[in-house]
Amino acid sequence: MNEQKVAILAVLTAALLVPAHRELAAQIASKLDAGQFTVNDGTVPSSALRLAPTFEYQTPYATLTAHGSAFVTEQSLQIADGVLSGTFTSPTVYGVRAEMIGNASRAVDERSLGTDQVDVQTRVHVLFHQRGGLWLGGGVARPWRVAVISSADVADAGAWTKVGGATFTATFTNFSFTKVASVHDTASSALSCAVATSGTVPGAASAMRFVADDAAASSACERQSRFSDLEGSVHWELGALELNAQSGYRFGDSYDVTPDSRRWSSATATVWLSDRVAVIGGGGRQPALPLRGLPARTFFMGGLELAYWPISHNTIPVSLPHATLLKSFDLRPAEQGLEKIVIHVGGVETVEVMGDFSDWTPLTVTRHGRDLWELALPLSPGVHQINVRVDDGPWMAPPGLPTMHDSYDRDVGLLVVKDNKS
Amino acid sequence: MKRSSLRSLPLRAGALLCLAAVPAVAQETDPFNKLDPNNRFSIELMIDSARNAGLPSDALRSLALEGIALKIDGKRIVDRVRREFTLLRTARTTLGPVSDEEVKAAAAVLNAGAKPAQLAAFKTREQGRSDLQAFTIWADLITRGVPSEEASSAISKLWEDGADDAIFYGLWKSVQTDISQGLNPGAALQNRIRETPVRTPQSKGAPPEG
Repeated sequence: MNEQKVAILAVLTAALLVPAHRELAAQIASKLDAGQFTVNDGTVPSSALRLAPTFEYQTPYATLTAHGSAFVTEQSLQIADGVLSGTFTSPTVYGVRAEMIGNASRAVDERSLGTDQVDVQTRVHVLFHQRGGLWLGGGVARPWRVAVISSADVADAGAWTKVGGATFTATFTNFSFTKVASVHDTASSALSCAVATSGTVPGAASAMRFVADDAAASSACERQSRFSDLEGSVHWELGALELNAQSGYRFGDSYDVTPDSRRWSSATATVWLSDRVAVIGGGGRQPALPLRGLPARTFFMGGLELAYWPISHNTIPVSLPHATLLKSFDLRPAEQGLEKIVIHVGGVETVEVMGDFSDWTPLTVTRHGRDLWELALPLSPGVHQINVRVDDGPWMAPPGLPTMHDSYDRDVGLLVVKDNKS
Repeated sequence: MKRSSLRSLPLRAGALLCLAAVPAVAQETDPFNKLDPNNRFSIELMIDSARNAGLPSDALRSLALEGIALKIDGKRIVDRVRREFTLLRTARTTLGPVSDEEVKAAAAVLNAGAKPAQLAAFKTREQGRSDLQAFTIWADLITRGVPSEEASSAISKLWEDGADDAIFYGLWKSVQTDISQGLNPGAALQNRIRETPVRTPQSKGAPPEG
C-alpha cells in the first residue's frame, strides 16, 4: 500500500512540475528576505543572519515555487531548508474551484543528514462572491529520515472571509501515520515505549507493535499516531502596512503531542517602504512538524524583504481570478508622447486592458513592482472607453474612473486624456 | 512528363499554396470579415456616410469592433452603430463646430439618457475650454442612477458658472462616495452640488503667467 502511495505521489508531483501551456501569460517573481533570526530549537544558530530567497514561475492556472533559507554565521553558511512546490488551480465553475498542490522539501539539520518529505494534496473550494469561502481537502505525505515511517494521511477543511482589508481564515487539519517511538528518542516517545512495555495505560499497548527482528528491537516500537491542528489566522492590509497573525491548538493524546506543541501563536508585521523594499518584524511560537522532523520552536525575526519582481501573495487560501482586487488606476505622461497606464492590484497573476484605443483587443499589462502594473500607450487626446480584467476574470471598469453603460449595455470606464499641447 | 518537371512539381505546388495563403492571412486580420456580408456592408456604408457628414467615423468603427470582439450578433451591431450615428449627428447639430472628441463625448451623454436640448448650454464656451470632463461626469452620474433632469441641470449650471475639470472631478468623487455608502443618487448630487465651489465671473481665468 505504501509503495502504491509513493508511486502516486511521484506521478502527481511530476505532473505538477510540467509547465502549463499558457506560456504567454507566464511571469517570474522573486524575493529575498534578509535579517536577524533568533530561535531556541537547537537546530540552527541561536541568533544569526538569515537569508531566504524565493522564486516563482507563475501562469494563470499553475505556479511553481522554489524557496530556501540559510543562516550565515561568522564561520560558515548553513543551509536550513529547501522547498519546491507546484500548484495547479482549475477555472471557477459555478463558484467551485479545484486545486492540486505538490511539495518536495528537505530540512537540513547540522546534527544529521536532514529530513525529506514529498506530499500531494487536492482541495475543492466553494467561493461565495469572493467575500468568503470553504474548502475540503485531503492528501498524502511521505517523509524520510524521521521517526515517522509510513506515508501520512492528511485531511483538511477550512473557511475564510474578507471583512474590509482583513481576511480571516480557520483551518482544521488531521494527520494520521505510523511512527517509531524509541527509548533513545524524545521524552514523549520514550515515555510511550515505556508505558507500552509496562502496559499501565489501557489501550496504549494495542496501538503499538514492538520491533523484534533487528538490532533496534530492544529499544524501539511502532505506534499508530493521530493528531489534529485547529488554527485561526488573520491577514490585514492597511496601506503600506501588512499584519499576519495566527494562533492554533493541537488535539491528540500525550504520546503524539508534546506539551510544547499543544498551543502556538505568532505574528509578523511588514511595512512597505517602496514597491520593492519592506521591513519585516515578528515572532512567536511554532509547533513541531513531525513529518518534517522539525521540533517546536520560539522565534523572533527582524529584517528586510527585497523584491525586484515581487511575488503576489493571495490573502485568501485559493487564487481568485475573478476577484475585484484593483486598488487604483492612474494615467501618467510617459516618454515619447506616450501615456502610461498605472494599476495597483494585489494577489493576481495577469492584468489586461482593452478599449477603443486597442480596437477592443486585450493588451497585457506588465508587472513592475509589488502590486504595480504598467503599460505605455499612444493615447490621443479625448475621451477613451477602457476596461480592465485580472486573471482572465470578467472585464470591468477601472476604479477611480467615471463609468457609463456602453451601447452593448456593459459598464466601461471613461478615461479623459488631455491635450498637453494646448 | 519529363523527369525534371516531376522533380519541380512539389516546389511549384508549394509556391502556389504560399501565394494562395497570403490573401487568406490578410483576410483573417480584418475583423470586419467576421461579419455577415450584408451587415458588413451596412456598417461600412454608415462609416462612409459619417465621414462625408463630417462626423467622427472612428467612433462607429470602434463600436463595430467592440461588438465583434464581444461576439455580439451582427444585426445587433448594425443597430447599435446606426443608433450611434444618429447620436453623433444630433450632438454635432446641437453643439455646432466643436472638435470630434467633444462630439463623441456628447453622444455618450445622449446615449446615457440626456436630452439634446440639455446640451445647448455647452454650445458657447471660452477659448480653449474643454467640456470633455463635464460630459464624462454627466454620463457617469446618469449611469449611477441620478435622474437625468437633475444631472443635466447640475452639470449645465456648473458649466455656466465656469467650473473647471477639477471641480467636475471633485463633485463626481464626492457623489460616487456617497452613493457607494447607500445614499440615494439624486440626493447625493443635490447635497454635494451645494458644497461645490465655483468660480464667480469676476475671478474667471488663471492669472497671467510670467
